[in-house]
This record gives sequence, structure tokens and C-alpha cells, in this order.
Amino acid sequence: MQSIQFVSPTLQPIYLILVVRPPPKFCSFLCENLQVHVEASGSIGRNDSAVSTPLSPKPARIDGRRLRSERTKQLIIEAYLALLRENPVVAMPTAAQIADRAGYSVRSIFERFPDLGKLRVAAADYNLAQAAALAPARNVDGDRATRIRSQVETRAGTCERGVALWRVLLASVADDEELKLRVRISRDRTIERMEVMYRPELSTLAEQERKYMLVALEAITDIESWERMREQHGLSFEEACSVWIGAIDRMLPPTPPAA
Amino acid sequence: MVQMMVAQTAGTETALSKHSTPTASRIDGRRLRSVRTKQLIIEAYLALATEKSPQVPTAAQIAERAGYSVRSVFERFPDIHSLQVAAVDYALVQVAALAPSRDTDGDRQTRIRTQVEKRGRTCERWLPLWRSLVVNQGESPELRQRIIGLRERLVGRLELMYAPELSTLSESERRHLLIVLEALVDVESWARMQEFFGLSFDEACAAWTQAIDRLLPPTPLAA
Repeated sequence: MQSIQFVSPTLQPIYLILVVRPPPKFCSFLCENLQVHVEASGSIGRNDSAVSTPLSPKPARIDGRRLRSERTKQLIIEAYLALLRENPVVAMPTAAQIADRAGYSVRSIFERFPDLGKLRVAAADYNLAQAAALAPARNVDGDRATRIRSQVETRAGTCERGVALWRVLLASVADDEELKLRVRISRDRTIERMEVMYRPELSTLAEQERKYMLVALEAITDIESWERMREQHGLSFEEACSVWIGAIDRMLPPTPPAA
Repeated sequence: MVQMMVAQTAGTETALSKHSTPTASRIDGRRLRSVRTKQLIIEAYLALATEKSPQVPTAAQIAERAGYSVRSVFERFPDIHSLQVAAVDYALVQVAALAPSRDTDGDRQTRIRTQVEKRGRTCERWLPLWRSLVVNQGESPELRQRIIGLRERLVGRLELMYAPELSTLSESERRHLLIVLEALVDVESWARMQEFFGLSFDEACAAWTQAIDRLLPPTPLAA
């Protein structure tokens, strides 16, 4: 078991506790990458580059009791997310259901989260941290086809894992400033990642054209677009990736010779 | 607007009555008033749902806005869900009436511009209601069916407007391109351009126009 500390948007630390398990089929390549990331990364904040960079060679020391408490928190969040995935039309399961799934008492939940709205915000932070850990930028210096494939597959993995919570966030975001901030950070990160991955092609465009290009790429690779491809159009993971790959390849201008 | 709907309803009733009796169509005054009350309740619901999106207005709020009693609301709609479904159907008629297909035979740039501007205006107008519908669809198969129907209608419009370009693609390429175009011109995509990226109406249209022009294959010479 390994823990990584992240800086959350509210500057509270988030411990993402990672247990190495056999990787699910659909994202085996991501999980292979995970080990590399765990070894290399330090903390990821909202202003950090999408590409993780090694920090101090000394690992941070983590208090054991605090780690156990964070682990309980994480299990409660994971129980909430599991219930969302199982029944997406119920945006907020009851505290009793979450406690039952996590294997703790209802009291344990409210000791850690003053209300279920805070649990939802914590789940959003957890998803952001997980996305950063499981989806580092890869093949940044690859050729055009490699970069497109890499970005699409990484994005698809993030969408696949995050779609249940995303629906809940969108439904609740209008009344919750904390959630609004998380949604914004998530979108910022997606755009930053595309800027990194498609830098050679984007560098050939004028400022306004470049902005419009990023707006369109973000729309096409939105999590709801992924959800519709999978659920409404019945595409497999690979088919859906291939739709995005084809679209991005058509959208991007020619790669300059130097790249 | 109410008159349009009443006229449509009356028209439907006329058409139906023509089948049953050969005599000239006569519209029952009481029935027409009841239809009109229903329309006013639906319009009150739509106005409130737009203002409060994504919250669903209460029966009391709807009744007050429409100028009827709560009882009148429930006499015509057994529950709020039925009213929601009726309101979506009503809105669908308006969307179709307000956005007829134009310039389908124009050149590539004209067709893209026409489709984008029309879509932008539709998104602008219906965004709050769309959000309310999507957020509150819950387990309702009727509402979900209407969401799918609206998306299919959009895809149908895209197929019509970009028929020359789409005709040059294989079946699977065509299907994939339509999926991408639909995602691009989604209502929420429009909302993000304005709320997240801070684009004006014209800038948002320009962003869509640039993307569609890049996504579509070359226009065949015959078009």
C-alpha cells in the first residue's frame, strides 16, 4: 500500500491511498503507468503542470493515526462512489447506505463529514486526485498519431471512471460554489493536458484560432460525450476511442516539420 | 404562442372530426377553454422552470403563475411529472416551429453558418429548460425518451444540412462523424463556451463554425 499526498483546491491535503491490484482489462496500460507515477510524483496542485515532475528525493513522513483516519475517509468516499455507479439516478444515497457499504457506522461518516454535501465535495477532490495519479501525460514527445492515441486513451479512462460522479456534480453544481470550483478545475486540467499533448500543432495557429480549437476539442472529448457514445450509441471502449481519435486528427492542423 | 397551440390543437381536432362526421368541423367551446387552461398551466410551468432551473417548480407556484387554483392544475395533470412531460412536448413543437431548415441547398459556408447560428439561438433560448429536463429525468422513461428524441432530431438536422459532405463517407465514418458533430453542438457545449470560456454569441458561433469546417470532409463537386 502506498500513499500520495495531494493539495486539494481548498489547500487541505488529500491522501490517495493506492493498493496495487490486478489491473482491470480496459485500463491495464494506465495501471502499468501508475507505478512509475507513484514513484516519481510528489504533490499535484491546481497550478501544477499536467505532467508530474519529481520533487524532493526524501519521501514525506506520514503520521500513522492520521493515515488510518484518512483511509477510513477514503473508504467512505469509495463506498459513496460505488453506490453512485450502481444506481446513477440516486444522486445522494442515504448515510445508512453509505455506512453499510463502507463497513462503518453512520456516526463514523458524520465524524468525518459534517454533512453529505461535504462528502460529495470530498468525492470530487478524490476523483481529481485519482485522475491526476492514474492519468499522467504520456508520449508528450511522440509523433502525432502516438500523441493523439495517448491523450484519447488517457481521457477515456478518466471519463470511464468519473462519469457517475460527474452526473451528480452537474446536477448539484448550480447551488454549490465548492462543486463549481471542482468542475472548473477539472475542465482546466483537461484543457491544459490538450495544450501539452498538441503543442506542435497548436503552435501553428493564430491566438484566436488556437482558442477556438481548444474550445472545440474540449467539447468533443467532454465526459458527457463519452457517456453518450458508450450508453446511447452502444460503442465499445475501443470504438469510442477510435471516434475521438479520428475527430481530433481531422481537427488538428498539420504537424509542423520540426515536431 | 398560446393561440398557435390552440390553433394546432383545434386543427388536429378538426382533422379527426372530419373522419368521424362528414359535416363541417365544429369546435366545442368548453373543450377549447379547457385546452386553453392546460396551455396556460404548461406555459406557467415552462416560465418557472426556466427561471428556477434546474429546480422543478411546485404545484402552488405553477397555479399562482397561471392564475388558477392548485386543484385546477391537478384536474388536468395527475401529477407534476405528467405536467413536465406535457411541457416538454409543448416545447418540442415550438423548437420545430421556430427552427425550420433553411439554406439546405446553399454552398458549404452558407450551410455551416446557417446551421450554427440557428443552433446557437436554440441553445441560448432553451438552455435552462434543457438543464432542468436532464437533471430531473430521474427514472422517468417518458422524459428520457424525449431527451433521446431531441438528440435524434438534432442529428437529423445535421444529416440534412451536411448531406453533400456526409454522402462521401462510408456508413461507419458517417455515423462516427455525426456522433462527434452532435457532441460539438450540444446544448451544454454552448453553455460552456459562454459560461466557462466567456465567448460572446458571435465568438461561440465562430468556434463551432471553425470546428465543423475542419471536421467535415471536402464538399463533392456536384454539391
